Amino acid sequence: MLIVICSLLTIMSEIPFENIRSFFDEKKRMPTYREIRDDILHTASMKQTKRFVDRLVEDGLIGRDRTGKLLPTEGFFGVRRLGYVEAGFPSPAEEELLDTMTLDEWLIGNREATFMLEVKGESMRDAGIRPGDTVLVERGREPKDGDIVIAEVDHKWTMKYYKKDRQGVSLIPANPAFKIIRPKEELRIEAIVTAVIRKY
Amino acid sequence: MSTLLAHGTYPRAILHIDGDAFFASCEQSRDPALRGKPVITGAERDIASSMSYEAKALGITRAMRLHEIRKICPDVIVLPSDYETYSLLSKRFFDIVRRFTPDVEEYGIDECFADITGWQRPLRTNYHMMAERIQEDLRRELGFTFSIGLASTKVLAKAGSKWKKPYGLTAIPNREIPTYLAELPVGNVWGIGPRTTDTLVRLGIRTALDLARSDDARLDPFLSKPFKEIRSELRGIPALPFLAGNRSAHASVQKMKTFTPASNDPRFVFAQLAKNIESACMRARQYGLEAGKMLILLRTQTFEHQAVEIHLTCPTNFAHELLTVAKSSFDTLFSPGTFYRATMVTLLDLRTPDRQPDLFGASLKIEGFRRIYESIDAVRAKYGKHTIHFGPSFDAHHSPRHIGSRGDVPERMRHLIKGESIRRHLNIPMFVGEVD
Repeated sequence: MLIVICSLLTIMSEIPFENIRSFFDEKKRMPTYREIRDDILHTASMKQTKRFVDRLVEDGLIGRDRTGKLLPTEGFFGVRRLGYVEAGFPSPAEEELLDTMTLDEWLIGNREATFMLEVKGESMRDAGIRPGDTVLVERGREPKDGDIVIAEVDHKWTMKYYKKDRQGVSLIPANPAFKIIRPKEELRIEAIVTAVIRKY
Repeated sequence: MSTLLAHGTYPRAILHIDGDAFFASCEQSRDPALRGKPVITGAERDIASSMSYEAKALGITRAMRLHEIRKICPDVIVLPSDYETYSLLSKRFFDIVRRFTPDVEEYGIDECFADITGWQRPLRTNYHMMAERIQEDLRRELGFTFSIGLASTKVLAKAGSKWKKPYGLTAIPNREIPTYLAELPVGNVWGIGPRTTDTLVRLGIRTALDLARSDDARLDPFLSKPFKEIRSELRGIPALPFLAGNRSAHASVQKMKTFTPASNDPRFVFAQLAKNIESACMRARQYGLEAGKMLILLRTQTFEHQAVEIHLTCPTNFAHELLTVAKSSFDTLFSPGTFYRATMVTLLDLRTPDRQPDLFGASLKIEGFRRIYESIDAVRAKYGKHTIHFGPSFDAHHSPRHIGSRGDVPERMRHLIKGESIRRHLNIPMFVGEVD
């Protein structure tokens, strides 16, 4: 598993540091020591506050001016936050999620050409397509040998394997109880099955 | 500019793309049992709202009553409208056209303009072939056909798409404008209504060509600005703005619902109107627009119309404000003893809110209402429109719209897939009919 941890940050200081950044984003200035103590670390100890700030300065995330007031540094803005680390378990990092797709994107290729159809017959039983299943079909694609297609035969839909050889096109069921269809005239292939969905 | 029209081919290239019998085609493309047969949609309204080409061939025309239709053709297949499916397919239609150009003006559910000027080079083709490709992609992927007009102005492109239907592609390059316009009666030009046609014919202008070639000085006193724009467009010189995006959906918001049996109960009829007003306001809020005008219309059982236009002193999209003004107008419109079958509301003159702080705290009050409506809309979006509504529309929300056989529900709604509810369906159109 890939654990994404910002190079400079330690687990301890990350969230309070984020709070300093939000403070800056909101108020357009850096907090004072007292504000860090009271509003960010929620502690009573000025010593602890100073230690925390010192570490951030050491890490180059914030700086100090001559009078000791806090300043943002390049590191203050430049840290790319790839994810939080809490209690040792990485939480999903945005960066990683960019490479994921939704179920919709996975199932649907050409969205404009995709339709649904509810299966009613048993003719594709051995292909694992059963009555009550929903199939996604795509219109307008040239069928290839072995595709499962939706064709129009005698004013009805039929779903079969598509096969083209020297004798022409045949539509082959995945169930021995059904006959192979060899259309004599031009056959209208309406769509190609791209997915089968069965919801329990 | 009395005889000369514009020269050349396409200084601009505008397509008008128009669905062939759109609703009926949506139905035929998903159900093979309907192919080659006369099919009409609109069963729930008791009139034909779309006819397949087979039905048109039998002489069935738009808005013809169902019982008349059955007299002409007893075998006609009458389907209830499935607007959800038509809208899904309409969106796909626009999305496919947008593969070719971002400049698409959605003009209606079944038609759009597309500006393809300049795209012939990057796409290594010419305008005519681009039009062919769009037409072919639409047919292959949606399963039904569209007619296209190609010209350098919207008015000419619109004439082109009507020229040959269905599945026609008519290109009118500027130098051929006169040939086409000579055959086009002036009344068939997009935007010229019967009244203007009468005026023009009296002035000796019969064809679109007569209008394009007319002497400006002679005609101008009789023409208002929109007609001068049309004349310019007929000459091949663009005058109408091209409005990319779905302008038509926003120029006005209209809600109309028919109910059966017809009713003479003022409370019930107003409830129907109130429901339409609430829905229209919700839609306007979705767009972030406010109405400056509202048109309310009542349709009687005998298909007569009584309408009134209301100018709003302060633009709004709050239902409670519109209901108040609508009530008093309704009371003057409604005549006791007349049976009504439909109500309609149109919100017009839509604009984005322009709020100025004021002395009397009205803007605070408006902000309060805005938040209330935000919550109402969220609840209605999640749990359905029937969950929250105003009192006056109670009867419309809680009684079936159609009693008897006309309460026809589209096939898609009658048969839900596991996991769908009455209110929410998968957003992918379904094939219907038997499968073996």
